[in-house]
Amino acid sequence: MSALIDVDGLTRRFGDFTAVDAVSFQVEPGEIFGYLGANGAGKSTTIRMLCGLLAPTEGRATIAGHDIARDPRAVKRSIGYMSQKFSLYLDLTPAENLEFFAGAQGLSGAERRRRVRDALEHSGLDARRDTLTGALPGGLRQRLALASARLHQPRILFLDEPTAGVAPDARRAFWRDIRAVAAEGTAVFVTTHHLDEAEYCGRVGLMVDGRLEALDTPAELKRTLVPGVFFTIDGDAPRADLRRALDGAAGVRGLQPFGRRLRVRLDPDAALADADALTARLADAGVADPRVEPTTPNLEDVFLELVGREAA
Amino acid sequence: MRVEALAVARKEVRQTLRDKRTLVVLVIAPLLQLTVLGFAVNLEVEGLPTVIVDADRTAASRDFAADLTAGELFEVVERSPVAADGVAALVAGEAEVALVLPRGFARAELAGRPAPVQVLTDGSNANHAIVARNAVEAFALQRGLQRLRERGAVPTMGRPDVRPRVLYNPTLDSRVYFVPGVAATLLLVVTFIVTAMGLAREKEAGTLEQVLVTPLPPSALVVGKTLPYAVVGMLDLGLVVTAGAAIFDVPLRGSLFLLAFAGALYLLTTLGLGLLVATLAKNQQQAFMAAFFIILPMVLLSGFMSPVPNMPEWLQYATLLDPVRHFVEILRGVLLKAAGWADLAPQLVALGGMGVLVFLLSARALSRKLA
Repeated sequence: MSALIDVDGLTRRFGDFTAVDAVSFQVEPGEIFGYLGANGAGKSTTIRMLCGLLAPTEGRATIAGHDIARDPRAVKRSIGYMSQKFSLYLDLTPAENLEFFAGAQGLSGAERRRRVRDALEHSGLDARRDTLTGALPGGLRQRLALASARLHQPRILFLDEPTAGVAPDARRAFWRDIRAVAAEGTAVFVTTHHLDEAEYCGRVGLMVDGRLEALDTPAELKRTLVPGVFFTIDGDAPRADLRRALDGAAGVRGLQPFGRRLRVRLDPDAALADADALTARLADAGVADPRVEPTTPNLEDVFLELVGREAA
Repeated sequence: MRVEALAVARKEVRQTLRDKRTLVVLVIAPLLQLTVLGFAVNLEVEGLPTVIVDADRTAASRDFAADLTAGELFEVVERSPVAADGVAALVAGEAEVALVLPRGFARAELAGRPAPVQVLTDGSNANHAIVARNAVEAFALQRGLQRLRERGAVPTMGRPDVRPRVLYNPTLDSRVYFVPGVAATLLLVVTFIVTAMGLAREKEAGTLEQVLVTPLPPSALVVGKTLPYAVVGMLDLGLVVTAGAAIFDVPLRGSLFLLAFAGALYLLTTLGLGLLVATLAKNQQQAFMAAFFIILPMVLLSGFMSPVPNMPEWLQYATLLDPVRHFVEILRGVLLKAAGWADLAPQLVALGGMGVLVFLLSARALSRKLA
């Protein structure tokens, strides 16, 4: 099957500033594609171009086979879009919001009524269908926005920071919904700056200053970009002491503060790449009672590694 | 297109009915403002505060002052024999007119010499000053003729005998002239502001962006967003004309259908302008400022306050681009003169042309946003 999103050299400049710099990727049906980056890295600009809200300066992209520059209306028919900021009408009820957006998609009559009813049922909003949207809690609003974006059964969903400002349990529930949507064959393009959420994605693209610096599955990104073994070190000693004990030691590839603990990345074949060796080393340096535990790399390590390379 | 436009219109109606403030702006405010402005905008001058400075203190000077101020125009607030008091009252703003009858007034009159009378007026209200001056001059002329007649020296030379007759507004009630202007202005303000602020609010809330990622055609958005307010505008027009008749005795002599048709053309321009402004503005604040800077000259150039023929010639051409001017002329024509389609054809064509142009421009500006 051909890619639903096909992006080739997409570029957007605002004056001298290049917000998105020659980005290329493909997203297949049923795939959850995570787009990661800091604020201002070009995530929203990319999504706005792909949704037909912003014209690209250079490059080309097709959505479900439609060129975004030549046929924006066909693009809009094939996509659902959830923006960063909640943007349904707060002074309408969920039912009225869904009815309006179904109408805007050109749906009418019995078909529209059926879709609205189904959407309310599936998103668990049936009981609140006549409450004003402004009075709904964040989690329910999010589900309403997703239901609204899916009313016309698009093959592609664009979600721009969909879980910003949503409580952790509601975030998990939301991701369950996203995975269910993808399982039906929809291509999901999602931007986030929650690196833990990116673990749910089939593939992840990492944006740094407008450029797509890395693109792969989370596991492969970790293996290629931050190889090695990871430990967390906890203890009563100040973090600065822990850091001093290990800084510059043979085989130490990275030290990252993590809460009040320290994350250490080591070469797999280094002498210190072992919990006991590491504990001994810390004790030698005068750190009292260090607790060393092996751990696995995460996408934050990948991200920090990339940003660090960029700065170097 | 029809389904989408109806969906937008339905949404607008729901939001408007739910928002009591918008309802008040749409229906109650125009009526209140028509009433208040109708009473306030009044060119008839009466009760000018006047100081009488009678330095002559004779029967003739008392007579002159009493006869002059017998009507409604002057209201004597102070009497003094010293001219300086009159000037002081004008400076202090306590009086607008000071009538000075100098010593020797009666003697000069009796001797058949010119008897000097001075009128000091506060020119900061030019209209009042002119009315007061003309009234004193006319009174003095009448008094002179009267005295000639009393002496048996009736002037026999033929003089033009002017017999004025006023058409359409025989009592010269200035409200009958102003109420149509007030009505056109109110309609402009209400429909312009409601559409401009509505769209600008959607821009700020991000809901417009959510609408723009749907395949909804821009024309459907324009039609759906203006249709409900066009209906309200027509309702307002009806209310205002009815209230004008009930409160200010403004007649309705011409065709109601013509009035409604012209009203629809007018609303096309005012609603279209509102949308255009909101499309170009970044937020509600900008939209409001732009609305203010557009509405004010539109009202001033309409000839509603100062007649168009009084303006410099180049400005008179500029008023041809002002839809308010054309609609005020139509309103006055239909209400007061029973003017028909043929009489008002130029104004109707101008309004229609501008309406279609503004609408196309705003749809184009919106579709630019869509691309």
